Amino acid sequence: MKLPAFPRNAVLFLFNFLKSHARAIRLTVLLLALGLSGYVFYLDVTIREAFEGRKFALPARVYGRALEVYPGLKLTPEQFLEEIKTVGYHENPEPNEPATYRHTLEGFEFTSRDFVFGDGLQKAQPLRIGFAEGRVTLLQERDKEDADLALLRLEPPLIGGIYPGHNEDRALLRLDQVPKPLIDALVSIEDRKFYTHWGIDPRGIARALYKTLSGQRIEGGSTLTQQLVKNFFLTSERTLTRKGTEVLMAMLLEMHYGKDEILETYLNEIFLGQDATRAIHGFGLASHFYFDRPLERLELQELATLVGMVKGPTVYDPRKKPELVLQRRNIVLQEMVKLNAITQAQFVEARQKPLGVIHRPPSGTSPYPAFLQLVHRQLQRDYREEDLRSEGLRIFTTLDPRVQRHAELALAGRLKQIEKARRMDANTLEGAVVVSSTQNGELLALVGGREARYAGFNRAVDAMRPIGSLAKPIVYLSALENPDSYTLLTPLDDSPLVWKQPGTTDWKPQNYDKKFHDQVPLRTALAHSYNVSTARLGIELGIDNVLDKLPLYGIERRPPSFASSLLGAFELSPVEVAQLYQTFADGGFRTPLRAIREVVDVEGKPLQRYPLNVEPVAAAAPVYLLTHALQGVVREGTAQGLVNWLPAELNAAGKTGTTDDLRDSWFAGYTGDRVAVVWVGRDDNLPSGLTGSSGAMTVWGEMMKNLDPEPLQPAVPEDIELAHIDPVSGLRYDRECAATVAIPFVRGSEPDVTESCPGALTDILTTFGDMIARPEEKPGEKTEDKPEPKPEPEKKNWIQRLLD
Amino acid sequence: MKRFLLFFVAASLLAGCASVPPQASTTPTLPDTATPDGMIVPPAEGDIVVEPEPRPVMSVNRAVVALLDRAQLDSAAGKREAAGASLERALRIEPRNAWLWNELARLRLAQGQYAQAVSLAKKSISFAGGEPQLLAANWRVIGKARVGQGDSAGAEQAFRQADELLQPETTPLF
Repeated sequence: MKLPAFPRNAVLFLFNFLKSHARAIRLTVLLLALGLSGYVFYLDVTIREAFEGRKFALPARVYGRALEVYPGLKLTPEQFLEEIKTVGYHENPEPNEPATYRHTLEGFEFTSRDFVFGDGLQKAQPLRIGFAEGRVTLLQERDKEDADLALLRLEPPLIGGIYPGHNEDRALLRLDQVPKPLIDALVSIEDRKFYTHWGIDPRGIARALYKTLSGQRIEGGSTLTQQLVKNFFLTSERTLTRKGTEVLMAMLLEMHYGKDEILETYLNEIFLGQDATRAIHGFGLASHFYFDRPLERLELQELATLVGMVKGPTVYDPRKKPELVLQRRNIVLQEMVKLNAITQAQFVEARQKPLGVIHRPPSGTSPYPAFLQLVHRQLQRDYREEDLRSEGLRIFTTLDPRVQRHAELALAGRLKQIEKARRMDANTLEGAVVVSSTQNGELLALVGGREARYAGFNRAVDAMRPIGSLAKPIVYLSALENPDSYTLLTPLDDSPLVWKQPGTTDWKPQNYDKKFHDQVPLRTALAHSYNVSTARLGIELGIDNVLDKLPLYGIERRPPSFASSLLGAFELSPVEVAQLYQTFADGGFRTPLRAIREVVDVEGKPLQRYPLNVEPVAAAAPVYLLTHALQGVVREGTAQGLVNWLPAELNAAGKTGTTDDLRDSWFAGYTGDRVAVVWVGRDDNLPSGLTGSSGAMTVWGEMMKNLDPEPLQPAVPEDIELAHIDPVSGLRYDRECAATVAIPFVRGSEPDVTESCPGALTDILTTFGDMIARPEEKPGEKTEDKPEPKPEPEKKNWIQRLLD
Repeated sequence: MKRFLLFFVAASLLAGCASVPPQASTTPTLPDTATPDGMIVPPAEGDIVVEPEPRPVMSVNRAVVALLDRAQLDSAAGKREAAGASLERALRIEPRNAWLWNELARLRLAQGQYAQAVSLAKKSISFAGGEPQLLAANWRVIGKARVGQGDSAGAEQAFRQADELLQPETTPLF
């Protein structure tokens, strides 16, 4: 913003007029006085507007999920400690102040903080928590009564903000959040008379004026108020005119606002560095930018460093000129001793400490840029950008920092190991991870790349990649929805296939092992991800009939009506795949994935809730069968390798996906409590050399192993019947035999009971069955080729048939 | 042999079906006050009354019970959004608790969100196992929601389903 020029020749004019035109002078004086007051009025309006604008431009604050703690919760003391440290608790032998804790024999004593949730204020409470065998065993209020507490909602971690201004990033602080030594240091070095002057320091100005007029360098002598005014208008112009305007504005500011208001705004406004295109404003953000910690956790010498930089953050850049900044820091400390703001002992101790500035600044203010970006995009649908950046909205999201951390670690760790083991160049592989909660569709973690801290291409949301075999469950579910025609045992034809469509070249799908498998039971074809039988099945069902189901499962993008689409020759982002598998995991209920739970305004009043929505889009029984088949993928199919990470009892369901020339490696799967999708590949789309099981699946396994997932035990729909089937013959037995496995059927579609359990044959069948149970080791074996042909389905219900 | 076996299996299965007592389930148990109410009168169209269901033991987890209490207080005070938030919190703790899904369904019904009420009731049914009281409660929600949606035939069917669940002896298979 440009300010009008100060009328510099006013004095000269006055003098001349005084000499000759007495009457005219009076008129002129009047006019000038009018003009001047008009000008002052203009300045007053301008500066107040600027000040109010800054004062009330509150960024939206984004919080992760609040941890709900209750007796019985699976939580270790270490995990609890990590959680409360993330939200800024300090250790204190007397943990009676909010946000303090101390260790006890069984757990911790701590005091929570006041926090305004969407449903109102939760008061600070002195509490006690105890743990045993990986669970919370005790939760008590710590007072005279020591009453048991049923539930505690911890304060949620702040995971980022949506900031005002043009690339002006800041983490706003209230004055009471600012450590006193910082203010002491600031006043000591920059403006000792801050609390007594009225905006300007006449002696400082006189000194500055003298030096400037006498031809020495132009000098500051600015009060904090003047510096604040200067910061508002961001011009580097240094003239007397500007100085005059600045002085006037500073005095006007002091007339309208109290010292505390001015100081608070100053602390949030002052320019403290530059990060590429992003300007670092205010001590709150500078603290993260230079020390990667919130301001309240900085030590004395670190606070002094920041204050020292106020003089000129471009010159005093601790990353470029550490020695200069160290010198400056010690001058600040010295001034503080002089004014008795710190003791001599504190001074000596602080002066000896190193600078401690982190080498590489964190990018942005959120440690979870990918998740934050998704939140921001969802909010943009419902809010104006300027409101998001200035209205101080508080956004409660679903991010679970623990899940997020394990997702990040697994991705970065596995990719590094894979590159090493396969002698690839370092950092050639990239990846993305999406984790959601099975029953309510909340996004728990979102990793947009292996360097999860750095905002960049968000692969979880924006990388569109062919999904390969991850599409197969759509085909199989379509089949299983017709129990009269298809069961898990229905033989599929895996012999060579040529598909002709006018206008396209003939399509001849191949299996990954380059072999054909003749007749294979449906569940086996999915377990081993056979392309040919799946394509033939999809063609039989009708390509459009299959692909038309996609919108039901939350996938809006319609793949082309080619047979190759049945095998996943269409692109989706990892988060879309997660949406697809969410419906399978949730028994046929589609729950739109959600990252935001609630938005409240600056006073804590709820503005908008994003409630849980469910919609039954697929019948429970076929989805149950599909899950059973996907559990088979993990138990005996392409994802058998997961056993290296996860116990078999987990019964996880999943599907590997690999695309042409090994460009994309996918794994999508679910446990009792979480759905997760992993993509691994290269940004330049060159072959990565990885299959779904050698790449993405290992990331999935590594992550899940550390998340201690719940076993997958889907609710059994009422129209599901378990039958004891001999996998060799396909025959059903009347009870469990050594050679049988329990296979679910939609009631009425199970094979008729044909035999009672063969006693003597058991051993032989077991041996034989074992050979069959792992056909992938002998893909050429003919053993599975002739299962019992399925009896022609009858069009009567099972009771009628029984009574026939 | 085959036929004989078939008959035997059929007979035993049917015997099983017919002898299911009204309260064969184990948990959650119902307090004495929860007498099965077979006399469901469908409310007049456009007049949705969501009478409180008799309160069974919906959870043994005190945290969940606390949240349920809070939700019911909020709901009674007309703060339905807040009640929904508390129920969702409870569901995060016990995502497979069919009673909680039913509570949420009834809340949406009271809010006039009929489609969601039906969906949530179906979700509750999917976790309800063989609990006739709970199944019936869900069918009643579906019935009332269908009334709200103007689907009187669908509503009637749902109410009938609810009745049958509570009076299995009056609905012989043969």
